[in-house]
Amino acid sequence: MIKIDHVSKSYDGGATKAVRDLSLEIRSGEIFGLLGPNGAGKSTLLNMLAGVLAPSSGTIELDGVNVATDPLAAKRNLCYVSDSPDHLLRLKGHEFLRFIADVYEVPDAVRGPRIEELAREYGMEGELDNQIQSYSHGMRQKMMIMGALLPDPAVWILDEPMTGLDPKASWLLKQSMRRHADAGKTVLFSTHVLDVAEKVVDRVGVIAHGELLFVGTVDEMREHFKSNGSLEEMFLELTSENSPFAQAIEPAGEKDDEPVAPEAQ
Amino acid sequence: MARAAAQDFSWRQFKVMLRVVIKGEQHLDDTGMGLGDDGVIKRRGLLSSLGSGARKVAMGFLFLLVAAMFFMMGYMLGEVGVTPYLAFSLCVVALVGLTVLTGLYQAVNILYFVRDLGYYLTLPISATTIMWAKLAHFLGMSLLGDLILLPVALGCLLSVGAAPGTWVAVTAAFALAAVAVNLALVIVCVPLMRFSRLAHDKDLFSRVFGGLIIVLALAIGVGSQFAFRGDGLASLASGAGGLLSGGVPAVVVGVLCPPSLLARPVVEGDALAALGGLLGMLASVALYAVILSVVARRWYFEGVQALQGAGGKRGRRVEGAELTQATRTRGSFAANLSRDWKMMVRVPVFFNQFVLSSLLMPLYFIVIIVVSGVVGVSQAADAGMDPAALLEMARSLTALLTFDSPALAWCAVGVLFFGLFLGFSSYSFTMGVSRDGEDFFFLRGLPMNWSAYLAAKFVSPFALSTVPMLVLFVAAIVLLGVPAAAGAYLVAFYLGATVSLGLLSLGLGARFPRLTWDNEAQLVKGGGATLMVFAGLLVGVVVMALPALALLAGVLWNVLAIPAALGLALAIFAVECAALAWWVFGPTAASLARIER
Repeated sequence: MIKIDHVSKSYDGGATKAVRDLSLEIRSGEIFGLLGPNGAGKSTLLNMLAGVLAPSSGTIELDGVNVATDPLAAKRNLCYVSDSPDHLLRLKGHEFLRFIADVYEVPDAVRGPRIEELAREYGMEGELDNQIQSYSHGMRQKMMIMGALLPDPAVWILDEPMTGLDPKASWLLKQSMRRHADAGKTVLFSTHVLDVAEKVVDRVGVIAHGELLFVGTVDEMREHFKSNGSLEEMFLELTSENSPFAQAIEPAGEKDDEPVAPEAQ
Repeated sequence: MARAAAQDFSWRQFKVMLRVVIKGEQHLDDTGMGLGDDGVIKRRGLLSSLGSGARKVAMGFLFLLVAAMFFMMGYMLGEVGVTPYLAFSLCVVALVGLTVLTGLYQAVNILYFVRDLGYYLTLPISATTIMWAKLAHFLGMSLLGDLILLPVALGCLLSVGAAPGTWVAVTAAFALAAVAVNLALVIVCVPLMRFSRLAHDKDLFSRVFGGLIIVLALAIGVGSQFAFRGDGLASLASGAGGLLSGGVPAVVVGVLCPPSLLARPVVEGDALAALGGLLGMLASVALYAVILSVVARRWYFEGVQALQGAGGKRGRRVEGAELTQATRTRGSFAANLSRDWKMMVRVPVFFNQFVLSSLLMPLYFIVIIVVSGVVGVSQAADAGMDPAALLEMARSLTALLTFDSPALAWCAVGVLFFGLFLGFSSYSFTMGVSRDGEDFFFLRGLPMNWSAYLAAKFVSPFALSTVPMLVLFVAAIVLLGVPAAAGAYLVAFYLGATVSLGLLSLGLGARFPRLTWDNEAQLVKGGGATLMVFAGLLVGVVVMALPALALLAGVLWNVLAIPAALGLALAIFAVECAALAWWVFGPTAASLARIER
């Protein structure tokens, strides 16, 4: 479970607020999709969950472990795929996976078969002895996902994970997410691809200007908008200039509103 | 013909491209003197502005200092009877030599290995125009660096009281020579990049040039030990003049730098001859520019295309037992050490800077010792002395190194000075964390053991810079027959100095890491990096100060008995090492877990 309690993140001494007083609870056993336009604060929020950024205020707990006070224990409980797959490019595929397995202390008996299984599933068996820098963007993304899935922690946090993946890998990842959630664990991912979100998620959160505008299921969203349209249409309406939610947002640094979401109302 | 026409030069597009190259690209400070923009994202704030300004002032000062040294060298040449022509020849030969060894690599990097090139080529701009825009910028920046050699000739002119017109002519001639040699290199570089497989492997290409530069540094370092003695400077200038006076060397230098062939009338002739010489130099530069245009129109675009299509080596398929073996469990320290070592060795810039350069110092000492030994033995034999008897004499002296002898304390002071000298290489420790760049933030998302991370960052440079010197040091102690106890003391003292220097440098680098670079060269080249190297000396002073005071209290001021001074100095190092280890692997390691973008 992920519990985000009144979290804010600001830069430049408070002049720029990337995330504003955001509260959210993502339950175990669900896939949660975080949607939002560019610059909405999605990556900042996910980076805070992964412990890469420290919140300016508020607390984050992963399965009851506070990320700020016990970051190591929290991180052992999560895997994070960032929005860029260009990491440790000079390592070979198997060297990268070994490093990840060592850091997460994955036992020998588990890591060997698991690496082979992941490599087979994602079609990377023939690439493990090549340096990551020689991979295409999609292959690098696959390697990052394999690295994240290798230790198989309880909480998965994925920032735009489908970007660059071929259809098979994308399908595989969605299957893995579903299996993980069905096993009572937690998946949180951000995406721009609304079709993906519509088909995979149990609940969605829509974020813009660092504020959570909506949290609920896609059906709840439809009911809220009294619409039979696609998620894309609702998303555009929600984040448009004329949206009643967007109008509540004031320029950065001037006001921190509570998120306007069905659950909060 | 259609292809050639498509690659024609356009003056209008050239101006647009040059503006973009100057303002839009992140530059690597091509002068290497910190006078350009090193591409680091500028942050707001008074402190940052002051830091940037101070860096430029410091590097400008350093540039002027080196220029002043060269000027004095030129003045001394004039004093010992070297003519301005010979001094100018020395400048040109040095310019050609340095440009051939480093300029080709720089030119290839600027013209081919740049990220934006692929984008430029999608625009409706001819490749020749793109090349000239990039080259013009490169020439402007490298000229600034080349000018550092000119004061040798100017100093000589001052010494012989040359007329102001000669000063102008020599300056103009040197500038033309610098442009010509750079153009000549690019004329070589374009077909090389089109047809050579070596050049298509950027990593291999970088390593080969890194190796060449190391050999050059070694040759210059060792050569200067013998050249800069007695009348060595004058003979060096005379030799440079000889290179330009005829024969194959003159042809080679003349092809690489045609203005060098017209240097004599410019420097020594009357006004008319000087003007004629300068016009001839200008014509040769223009001719090279035309040749380069033709060559570039034919092969530059094709070379860039060939490079874009060049792929890396493919590995084997690893599976089953082999994969299990390759991914077996390691501890945090071993995992971090392996990762760090592989990244350092596989990134050519890091390999050249931190691996090859670290190995340079022991190599340098070995070569110096061997050459000096051979020369010394030869001279001793000429003087009718037995070399074995000389060694025995040295051993009888080292046998006096006991704990109550001032000689041992002075040896320890020598070790301290050597440790201070090693401050130059402490830069490898300081850059340990910064080397990770954006990867650091990937590691931040993992459950990292930051103490193990820093321990790994300590071991790599320590193994490269300190251990080979330690082996040499022990070998010298054994060869010279230093008593075991005194030898062990000196080794422990050396380790205390190097470990504490390494730990402090590593800790400072971890506290103030530079992680926002786009390209490895930004980190290890340019003004900021040069300053870091000199800052290493200051770090060395901080670490060595107290043990030095303890030793001097014994041998110079007689405040302490010699054994007490020796013991106190070593004890201070032990305390420093322990305190620094606690600071680095404790609070500093913890601080890494809080670093944000």
